[in-house]
Amino acid sequence: MSTEPRPEPAAGALLRLCDRADTDLPALRHARALTAARLDERRAALCTLPHDRDTAVVLCGSWGRGEITHASDDDWWILVDGPARAGVRPLPQAVAAALDEVPPGTEGLFGTVAFREDLRGLIGLAQDTNANFTRRMLLVLESVAVTGQPAWSATRRAVLAGYLGATPRDYRPPRFFLNDIVRYWRTITVDFEGKDRTRSGDGWGLRAAKLRTSRKLLFASGLLPILECHRLPADAMLDTLVADFAAPATDRIAAAFLRYDAVDLGVRVLAAYDRVLTLLGDPEVRAQLVALTDADAGSSAAFREIRMLADQLQAGLLSLLFDDRRLAPVVREYAIF
Amino acid sequence: MVTALDDRPATPANVLGAHHPVGASTGFLRDAGDWPAQVRAAIAVSPFAAELAALSAGEFDTLEAWLHTLPPLPFRYLSVHAPTKDLDGDEAALVVRLAALPAVVRAIVVHPDVMEDPRAYTRVGSRLVVENMDDRKAFGQTADDLTSVFAVLPEAGLCLDVAHVSAVDPSMDLAHELLDRFGPRLRQLHVSSLVEGEHAPLTEHDAERFREVLRRCVDVPWILEAPAA
Repeated sequence: MSTEPRPEPAAGALLRLCDRADTDLPALRHARALTAARLDERRAALCTLPHDRDTAVVLCGSWGRGEITHASDDDWWILVDGPARAGVRPLPQAVAAALDEVPPGTEGLFGTVAFREDLRGLIGLAQDTNANFTRRMLLVLESVAVTGQPAWSATRRAVLAGYLGATPRDYRPPRFFLNDIVRYWRTITVDFEGKDRTRSGDGWGLRAAKLRTSRKLLFASGLLPILECHRLPADAMLDTLVADFAAPATDRIAAAFLRYDAVDLGVRVLAAYDRVLTLLGDPEVRAQLVALTDADAGSSAAFREIRMLADQLQAGLLSLLFDDRRLAPVVREYAIF
Repeated sequence: MVTALDDRPATPANVLGAHHPVGASTGFLRDAGDWPAQVRAAIAVSPFAAELAALSAGEFDTLEAWLHTLPPLPFRYLSVHAPTKDLDGDEAALVVRLAALPAVVRAIVVHPDVMEDPRAYTRVGSRLVVENMDDRKAFGQTADDLTSVFAVLPEAGLCLDVAHVSAVDPSMDLAHELLDRFGPRLRQLHVSSLVEGEHAPLTEHDAERFREVLRRCVDVPWILEAPAA
């Protein structure tokens, strides 16, 4: 028995999954509404700044996922849909002032200017600095345009097209893109340990909670649409990837479960994540996690619950990847080596 | 989903062999000896998942003491079945002891029919897992019964015992109702057949009968309450 997975665009998939299961994911719903409201505020604050036609102000992280909480940072940068140049408008200092923030430094990941040609062209080797690599991943996986939507869309499309290269192959997931996404996830997990050693465990609980939940879900939300290219002719891949990656990560995850008619699993995964958002949005829990060390983790009820939810989230994703007879061969063929 | 069960006969070997993780309840490994010996026997079934079954108060005393020595255990998922027999009536004290079990215990399975005051179990938190009951029990079989329990224990999960369901409703419609109502709470399954009221190896007949329910539960550990046939 083998039936084709159903066509399932990512946009709106979370709501469709809820409808199919007759369930609600209140924390995700609330977070999306809060994100939209706060984005409107940011747009109002930035709309009077002079912009070059090829620029966008981009927010990323929880903003791009549609999951902000009252504790979320404004992680932004100015994106230019073109090669590096001086004198880009708006100036970072002007954006920071409009957002009522401390003026950014020039070396950080955020609060600076990033150029399409660097994001698209400098992939791999020493030229692909940690900042360039991270910005590229954030742009593709979890970003949203506050201003300059056309520049943001065009740059994302250019980056995705760069991954596909000149000769994408029919029904073959794009390896270059796949490897960069996997590299990003593994980098995050290795950096987690690195930070633990250099910071002597400061903030371990919150970082561990995010690694096991939002970071892992984000990785899966990149992996699944790429693997899905095994069902696409080459000339359909770019448009499909552009559309899928324009949707929030939880939509991409929900779409995958709907595509393979795995509604029970999808609801368990996203209900677990919904509960995680509730916990991480609670200032008391957040403070408790920030203070938590690896050695004390077992004594924290909040961390125990997050670990349980993280296990549930991972189990559902693994089951989708390895238990569905249509997807498992693709995972075997492409996802490991 | 299209799973390995969809295009091959639902024999016990196919059903259990297609799933990961399948672990043992030590309830059927008591003859192995003390807790370390029972755990070794459980590891032989699977190092990934297991349930330590302390069904009597005395068994719980020894299990609790042993777990607090923090023995190294390989399981990725470990549950403890809370006692249901020979209880001394001091439920509050039992709850305190359950809540204090080491963090390696990911789930604590309780029978709703022995909970005198379900609210008392709030203290166990998200590790609490409520199991549906068989036809011999006065409470805890139906979705409405469990709704009343979960109403006061919102963090609790569900352990779906498919054999218990089959004793209450041979059509297994009840299992689908439980999954429809409590699907997001599902943490683990108990898998076996019931023969004269006792857990027994999964039969050919039940493997087929349970197939559609098991297909909905491929992402959670399946705990065997009897040896694989």
